Amino acid sequence: MNYLLFENVLFNGIFLAMAGAAMAALAGIGSAIGIGIAGQAAAGVISEDPKKFGQTLILQALPGTQGIYGLLIAFLIMTKISLLGGDGPLEISMAQGAYIFASAVPVGLVGIFSGIAQGKSSAASIMLISKRPEELAKGMVYPAMVETYAVLALLISFLMLNGVQV
Amino acid sequence: MKKLSVIGLVSHREALMEKLMALGAVEITDQEEKLGDDRWKQMVKRDADERTVSEYEGRIAKVSQALDVIDKYGTQKKPLLHTRKPITFPDFKKALEDERSIEEKVGLINSLSARLAELSGAINKTETLKMSLEPWREYDIPLEEQGTKTTDLFLCVAPASADVNLFMKGLEDKVPASLIRLVASDAEQHYFYILSAKTERSFIDEIFRECGFSKIQFSDLSGTVKENIEALEKKSDELAEEKLGIEDTIRSHEVDKQSLELFYDKLIIHRDRADIRQNLLVTESAFSFDGWFPARAESRVSSLLSEMGCYFEIEDPAKGEDTPVLLLNGSFSTAFEAITRLYALPDSRAIDATPYFSLSYAVFFGMMLGDGAYGIIMAVITGLILKKYKLEGMKYRMVKLFFYCGISTAFFGALFGGWFGDIVTVAGKTFFNVDITVPPIWFNPLDDPMKLLIFCFIIGGIHIFIGMGLSAWLSIKDGRPLDAVFDVGLWYLLLIGATLLLIGVIPDVAKWMAIIGAVGILLTAGRNKKGIGKIIGGLGSLYGITGYLSDVLSYSRLLALGLASSVIASVVNTMGSFGGSGIKGVVLMTFAFVVGHTYNFAINGLGSFVHSCRLQYVEFFGKFYESGGEAFQPFGENTKYVDILREEN
Repeated sequence: MNYLLFENVLFNGIFLAMAGAAMAALAGIGSAIGIGIAGQAAAGVISEDPKKFGQTLILQALPGTQGIYGLLIAFLIMTKISLLGGDGPLEISMAQGAYIFASAVPVGLVGIFSGIAQGKSSAASIMLISKRPEELAKGMVYPAMVETYAVLALLISFLMLNGVQV
Repeated sequence: MKKLSVIGLVSHREALMEKLMALGAVEITDQEEKLGDDRWKQMVKRDADERTVSEYEGRIAKVSQALDVIDKYGTQKKPLLHTRKPITFPDFKKALEDERSIEEKVGLINSLSARLAELSGAINKTETLKMSLEPWREYDIPLEEQGTKTTDLFLCVAPASADVNLFMKGLEDKVPASLIRLVASDAEQHYFYILSAKTERSFIDEIFRECGFSKIQFSDLSGTVKENIEALEKKSDELAEEKLGIEDTIRSHEVDKQSLELFYDKLIIHRDRADIRQNLLVTESAFSFDGWFPARAESRVSSLLSEMGCYFEIEDPAKGEDTPVLLLNGSFSTAFEAITRLYALPDSRAIDATPYFSLSYAVFFGMMLGDGAYGIIMAVITGLILKKYKLEGMKYRMVKLFFYCGISTAFFGALFGGWFGDIVTVAGKTFFNVDITVPPIWFNPLDDPMKLLIFCFIIGGIHIFIGMGLSAWLSIKDGRPLDAVFDVGLWYLLLIGATLLLIGVIPDVAKWMAIIGAVGILLTAGRNKKGIGKIIGGLGSLYGITGYLSDVLSYSRLLALGLASSVIASVVNTMGSFGGSGIKGVVLMTFAFVVGHTYNFAINGLGSFVHSCRLQYVEFFGKFYESGGEAFQPFGENTKYVDILREEN
């Protein structure tokens, strides 16, 4: 009975692919935490100088991209297995499902940690512009350095997913 | 930049300063250093006029306060972008003929605003008093009554947590000759009045202490509470009315705003003219100053100085001397100076990177945003702003930068076939049930991402090579051709050789190119070090090949971010299509389209801007750019509201 359950549900291609989409979407955790951290710093700066709202908002938005990259891969997986169309998902093998799952791991995992790290870096940049508002561009480059790795993970996830034939 | 030293007669000083300011091409430097020199100190002193400066500062502060007040209460809409209005010099002078009346108006507006602040304070005070009387509304004995010959009458409050019944009963039991009545209760307090015989006062006080009650008094009020509240309401209304009246008066002065702005600018000009004198050195009858001016202004500067009867010397800066930095670029590159400035101005001995990265910045931005419709929207909006407003400085550069980036985005969008993502396909399928696609001019990156990835690496390689080439050129210009050969030439050999080997083109030549390059670097990179450092330096430098690898890989973000914006756009379109083809579907599609594409445009526009900057700052500037220059700040008319035009300009 248990064996059958595994066979039919857990080790089923569509389930694995969907787990992959879920895995990719987990990148949003990193963005949420990162934006939260940056938002705390931003609110502190605004309490002193409300005119900096626009600038702090830009910096706060920077760690938001990981969630978007996750969404992107999740969406591509769902289109790949035709989950979004009206005709129901494609029948795919367990191996294909597992490949798809593996392709989602980089963007999901890197997204979580880089989002948090980028949030901290953004918070520091927000403190920077509280004292030197003219240095916004430099403040934007530091978080962008962190984001590089989320971009690379996105690229790898995308190329892996693109290589899976269904 | 040319260096300028001037000596002139004090009697001509004011006229010269006025003309120099109008010219706006000379930076007058601080003379601190000369004053530290004993020989100079004996002859000259600093020509400072701090009193005049602070007098102007005071007047400027008043005008700026008055302008703030007008802005606050005025009804004029603020323009989206602040620009300086052009005005001719005679008009400027004419508008300020009646300076006294303008200054009087400033005084009037400021006194009105002071009265407004007073009124706000008075209204607050009245409202607070009214609030504190409000709970006593039902108490109908005049407030001035404090009792009779033998009785005390007083008001008291107790915290809401106190047990009122227990207290009332206890008081009546212990002090029979008393009367206590609850007037009102609210969330915070209970309000009582107590009438008791004077003889019982000490008992009452004791009970008060025990139960945490306290007396309150409205000592300067008379009449009943209701009368008082009505009076206060009336007073508050009157004050509010007066306030509105004053606000109207201020608004009626809005017509004078322009003359106030002109006056403000005039004061600024005079303040600066007085302020610059601290950079002049004077004797009894002569003055001198040093300064810088851009080489192209030489004829104008020298003709002005000879016209004013000054003795002056113009020389080129000595080799290695720090000069102020002024960036001069053509019409296209000027926009990209914004990016250079956001990083830091170049060192005065180094070169301005702007013309070398302008095109690549626009290309990177375009590839990352990569949507034809977004690009056209961007270019049209910024183009209209450029046409409508006469922007200056950083604002002008940024808007123009986004104009070029918009064009580039539209270009790459067309190459890759992205118009609001795949809106045409999705809308066609959802509403008209037809399969249409806008064919890409080149190819769709989603179909063949590897092709675009390699294209990105090639662009990146070219970009990095340009940076290295500039570094070599700087070495040669500086008289160190060997550095150029060793530090850049050998790397070119190694990198080109290794790349050719990797893709298998002419492997025999490529192999030897790579080997010569690598060995050369190993031998020469440590040439400035001593002993064992020579070998370690070479090895360390060769290890830097990983740096070049990661530099090139970094350009993969061009593909990744380009994919991000196009896929998110198609996510938006797909979500919009879930409503089907009916009215509901159209509504949902419109909603998803507007909200989703605005969001995508904003977040990916920001990302494209930041990552294009990063590619320039880290991958490109890192190869050759030296920053640290001080900006050229010519002595000129730093007006805020108007741009004064003169005939000769």
